[in-house]
Amino acid sequence: MTEAMPSLDTAADPRAVMIEARGVEKWYPNGFHALRGVNLTVHQGEVVVIMGPSGSGKSTFLRTFNALEDFQKGSIVVDGIELSDDVRRIDAIRREVGMVFQQFNLFPHLSVLDNLTLAPTLVRHRNKAEVQKQALELLGRVGIHEQAHKFPGQLSGGQQQRVAIARSLCMEPRILLFDEPTSALDPEMVQEVLMVMQELAKEGMTMVVVTHEVRFARQVADRVVLMADGDVVEIAPPEQFFSAPQHPRSRQFLSQIS
Amino acid sequence: MNHRLLPLASRLRRELFATPLDGLISVGLVVGLGAGLQALLHWALTQADWAVVQANSTLLVVGRYPLEQQWRLWLLTALLCGAAGITWGLLRGRGWPRSDRLAAAVLLVLGVVLPASLGLTAPIQQRWWWITGLLLLGRWAAGCWGAALPLRWRRLLPLAWPVLYLLGLGLIGGGLGLMTVRPSQWGGLLLTLIEASFAILVCFPLGIALALGRRSALPLLRWCSTLYIEFIRGAPLITLLFLGQNILGFLLPGGLAPDRVWRAAWILTCFAAAYVAEAVRAGLAALPRGQWEAARSLGLNMAQTLLHVVLPQALRVALPATVGQFITLLQDTTLLSLIGLLDLLGVARAVMANPEFLGRNAEVYLVLAVLFWCCCAALGLGSRALEHRLNRHSLRSEP
Ligand SMILES: Nc1ncnc2c1ncn2[C@@H]1O[C@H](COP(=O)(O)OP(=O)(O)OP(=O)(O)O)[C@@H](O)[C@H]1O
Ligand SMILES: [Mg+2]
Repeated sequence: MTEAMPSLDTAADPRAVMIEARGVEKWYPNGFHALRGVNLTVHQGEVVVIMGPSGSGKSTFLRTFNALEDFQKGSIVVDGIELSDDVRRIDAIRREVGMVFQQFNLFPHLSVLDNLTLAPTLVRHRNKAEVQKQALELLGRVGIHEQAHKFPGQLSGGQQQRVAIARSLCMEPRILLFDEPTSALDPEMVQEVLMVMQELAKEGMTMVVVTHEVRFARQVADRVVLMADGDVVEIAPPEQFFSAPQHPRSRQFLSQIS
Repeated sequence: MNHRLLPLASRLRRELFATPLDGLISVGLVVGLGAGLQALLHWALTQADWAVVQANSTLLVVGRYPLEQQWRLWLLTALLCGAAGITWGLLRGRGWPRSDRLAAAVLLVLGVVLPASLGLTAPIQQRWWWITGLLLLGRWAAGCWGAALPLRWRRLLPLAWPVLYLLGLGLIGGGLGLMTVRPSQWGGLLLTLIEASFAILVCFPLGIALALGRRSALPLLRWCSTLYIEFIRGAPLITLLFLGQNILGFLLPGGLAPDRVWRAAWILTCFAAAYVAEAVRAGLAALPRGQWEAARSLGLNMAQTLLHVVLPQALRVALPATVGQFITLLQDTTLLSLIGLLDLLGVARAVMANPEFLGRNAEVYLVLAVLFWCCCAALGLGSRALEHRLNRHSLRSEP
C-alpha cells in the first residue's frame, strides 16, 4: 500500500459517506487470498470507477458491498449500516444498493415490466399499479418504453442491460454498483448503456463502476481506483490518473489497455 | 418448403419412398403393422371371450366397494368430469381449435359408443352419457362465459382442484355422516388411482424440498437429503414396500399410516420423491448463479427468491423428467398386488384365478394394458399442454 493513499482516500469531503471499506481481506474457500486489506471511501453523489487487470479482485471487492461475497477481516459500512452475518442487516443493505451485472441477469420467465415490479412489490410492499406506473416511466427514461410487455429473450443485449438498470432503479436505491456492465455487449450497443449511466451520474446517483471504458471513466468518474493483486494501488481524479499515474502498476496497466 | 402443401401422392413418395431402402423399410413396416393388427383384431373378435371382463367389470374398476355406496363414486366421477370440462373451457376460451374438436370427438366416442360396445347395462350406459355431456357442457359454458368472470374468481381455479381432491377422498372413504368405507374395501382401478394420485401429489413438494436440501448450505441438512435420496434410489421399490408394511407402523404416528393401503401410499410417495428430487436438482443446476444473485441483490429474501425466481425456472426444466417419473409411479402401483393389495393387477389376478374364467388371461391383461395406457397418455398429454403453456413466453430466449 502506498503512503499517499490514506490522505487521498480520506480527503476532507463535506458530503456524507455512503460506503466505507476498511482493511477488507477475503480468502476464497480454496484458500486464495483475493482481497488483501482494501480501503475505500465513497461519498454521496460520487462516481467511482474501479479499473485493473483481470483477476485483480475488482468484482470480488464490488460484490462485498452488497454481501454477495463475504469477507474475513476488516469492516464495510454501507449507508450507515455495518455489514455482518446478520441476515436482516444484509437484506436492509441490499434494499438500498442496486447492482447491474455483466450478464444482465434479467428474469427470463417474467416480462420486462414484471422484472421491474417484482422487487418493489415483494420487498417494499408497494401497490402494484403504482409500481407499474413508475416502472413504465423508468423504461421511458432508459429509452425502451415500447418493450414493456416483451420478454427479456426478445430484446437485444443493449436493451436488456438498460432494462437491468431500470430494474435496479425501480427499487429506488441510494447506491448503484456496476460490474463490467458493457463487457458482454456488441460494440454498437455499448454507447446506449453508457449514456444511461452518464445520465444517472448527472442526476447525482452514487455509483461504483467496474469497467474498462476509459472514455466513460474520463468523462463521468469523480475518482478512478486502480486495483492490482487484491489491493487498491492508486486512487486519483481521472485527469491525473490517465495523464500522470503515480504507481508503477497503474502505468503498466494503462500501457496495456491503450 | 412446407411439406403439407404438396399433393398427397408426391408427399408419400417423398416421405416414404425417397430411396429404394426407404421404400423397403416403409413396405416392411406397413406389412408388419397390418399383419399384427389383423391378427389382433381376428383374435379379439373371434377367439377372445370377453365375458370374463364383462362379468367382472365392476370388480376391476372399484374392487369390493359396497354396491349400495357406489353412487358416491359416480357422483365423484361426475364432479371431476364437470371440473375438467370447466378447466378446459377456461384455459381455451371461446374458440374450438382443431385439437379441441378432435378431443371432443374422441370423448364423445369414448362416452357414448364405448359403454354400448362393452355391453354395459342400460342404466350404466346412460350414466356415462350424462357424464360425457356434463364434461362437454362444462367446456362449452366455461368457454363462452369464462372470460366474463371476474379475475378474482378465475384465480380460484388452481385452488378448486385440491379442494375437489380432498372432497373426493372424503366421498370415497366416508365419514361426516356418510357410511365409512374402509380402505381395505377399495380396489381395482379406484385403488390404483388413489394410490398413484396421492403419491404424485405429495411426492412433488417433498421432492422439491429434498432437492433444495441437497443443495443447501447447511451441512447437516445436505447430508441427510443426500443420504435419503441415495438410499431410496439404491433400493428396489418392492423391498421398500415389504419393509414399509412391517416397520412403517412403528416409525410413523398411527394416524398417518393406519392401514396397509395408506402405508403403501406413503412408501410410494417417499420412493418417488427421491427421483423427483433428482429431476428438480437437475433443473436447479441448470439455472445460472446470476439469477440467484440478481434476485438477492434486489433485496428478495431466500423464500421470495425461490418462489418467484428460482423454482419457476427450475421446475420448467425439470417438468419432463418429473412427469416421466409420475408415469413410472403409476405403473409401479402394480407392485402393490405383490404385497397383497387389490389394486388393478391384484383384482385382475383374483379374477384370473377364478376357475370359471380359466385360461382367459390374455383378455384381462389386454384390458389392463389399455387402462394403464389411457392413464399414462392422459398424464403425458397434460404435461405436454403445461409445458407448452410455460414455454409460450420465452420461445425466443431458448438458444
Ligand atoms: N469462487 C472462487 N473461488 C476461488 N477463487 C476465485 C473465485 N472467484 C474468483 N476467484 C479468484 O479471485 C481473483 C479475483 O477474481 P475477480 O473476479 O474479483 O477478478 P476481477 O478483477 O473481477 O477480474 P475480471 O476483470 O476478469 O472480471 C481471481 O484470481 C479469481 O481467480
Ligand atoms: Mg470481474
